[in-house]
Amino acid sequence: ALFAGSRLLRGYRGGHVVIRFALGGCTNRPFFRIVAAHSRRARDGKYLEQLGCLDPLPNAHGERVAGLNLERLRHWLGCGAQLSRPAEKLLGRRGSGRGRGPGSGAARRGSLPLPAGLAGFLPLHPMTVTGAERLRRRAQEAAAPPADGPAGPGDAP
Amino acid sequence: MAALGAWGSALVPARLSRVARALWGWRARRGLVQDAGTADEGKATKPSFEDETVQNLLYKMTGLNLQKVFRPVKKELKPPKYKLMTEAQLEEATRKAIEEAKEKLIMPPVLKEREPIDDVLAEDKFLEGTETTKYVFTDLTYSIPHRERFIVVREPNGVLRKATWEERDRMIQIFFPKEGRRVIPPVVFKDEHLGTVFRQDRHEDILNMCIAQFEPDSPDYIRVHHRTYDDIEKHAKYDLLRSTRHFGGMVWYLVNRKKTDGLLIDMIQRDLLDDATSLITLYHMLHPECQSAKEAKERKLQGVDLIKVFVKTESQKEGYIQLALQAYEEAMATSTAS
Repeated sequence: ALFAGSRLLRGYRGGHVVIRFALGGCTNRPFFRIVAAHSRRARDGKYLEQLGCLDPLPNAHGERVAGLNLERLRHWLGCGAQLSRPAEKLLGRRGSGRGRGPGSGAARRGSLPLPAGLAGFLPLHPMTVTGAERLRRRAQEAAAPPADGPAGPGDAP
Repeated sequence: MAALGAWGSALVPARLSRVARALWGWRARRGLVQDAGTADEGKATKPSFEDETVQNLLYKMTGLNLQKVFRPVKKELKPPKYKLMTEAQLEEATRKAIEEAKEKLIMPPVLKEREPIDDVLAEDKFLEGTETTKYVFTDLTYSIPHRERFIVVREPNGVLRKATWEERDRMIQIFFPKEGRRVIPPVVFKDEHLGTVFRQDRHEDILNMCIAQFEPDSPDYIRVHHRTYDDIEKHAKYDLLRSTRHFGGMVWYLVNRKKTDGLLIDMIQRDLLDDATSLITLYHMLHPECQSAKEAKERKLQGVDLIKVFVKTESQKEGYIQLALQAYEEAMATSTAS
């Protein structure tokens, strides 16, 4: 399939298939399409296949709706597609103990030894954990300001 | 004859086949445990809605009023088509009309209320506070049936859980829209607004809308249907549903709750004695331990005697039913005499 990908792409040198977000929508109203495309293409340009979508703004029920065509995702990952940073955050990190089915895939193994990405499709990206801890630390420092000087970062070993 | 010309339009078979496919899909779907279970129990312990005998009885009671089944549905205005036919062609056309009417009268399934989904797949406590709203992920693979689709919710507190039935229905309608169904159910299905619908005698329309909008095992579907049947029973408006596909479901509901008196009176008043006997046979099938059932089995009663025994033992409105029976017998006597 990588061969088929490069066939569609006359005139580019190198590059690989990535699964990333293509931005669409209107002013102050973003909408992402989760897309398998060549890395050298424009962000919103010609893609190989659309694998889903994500609406970053919460709807009337307070939820952010995302659809993922897992079967085709698995196909492209099997063909060797890379994931972009936000796609990794959403789906999880490839290469570290993957093989977990999509989040509700009836628990093919009993328990998940590694935490799974936001959607539970692949294991978690380490930046998510780090980002979460940074946020929490910042929130703590904002809430309990200079009074806690000496006892600052208490729980980070 | 103009009415017969009207059903030549193409829209009707398309709608029929879609409805029929949706309904047949229900019977064939794997997720429906009830079919497998009740096929074995069947007549031995407790007959279910899907049994052949039960379905035959209900179908006989539904009646086949061609004028009502093919009554003009509000579509775009087209001039009527007139066809010149011989007697043989007319019979052929009537026969085909009856077959199409039978397809239109297939009864929607009656199922128990579904269990709420409550399954947590992962708890990632360190994700707490990173997001402010929840994420709903839907699997968009085209070839899996909707019942087996993966729909998960990632809450802002880090918990990854399966979506509830309402969330599932909403997401499936967003990504795989079905005709006649809305993402957010219309306000007319709330209890306070159902009264207005009933006052306008539009029970059949609201039931059709309910079938299009909700799944048969959702609590909303069951609630709307039960309210409709209760209202019909309260005001004795049985004839509204008589030649429609909802009649079977209504009879099933009433017989299970033993509220059959009004229906019996209505049938006797319209001279539908066969329907009355099939109603009582169904009652005996469902409640074999009641006294009239035992008597009927012992003495092998038929027709009017069956009704009389039933009236004496089981009914609450004995007086009314006796009066109706008397009136019927007098009418029979005068008609045979004259």
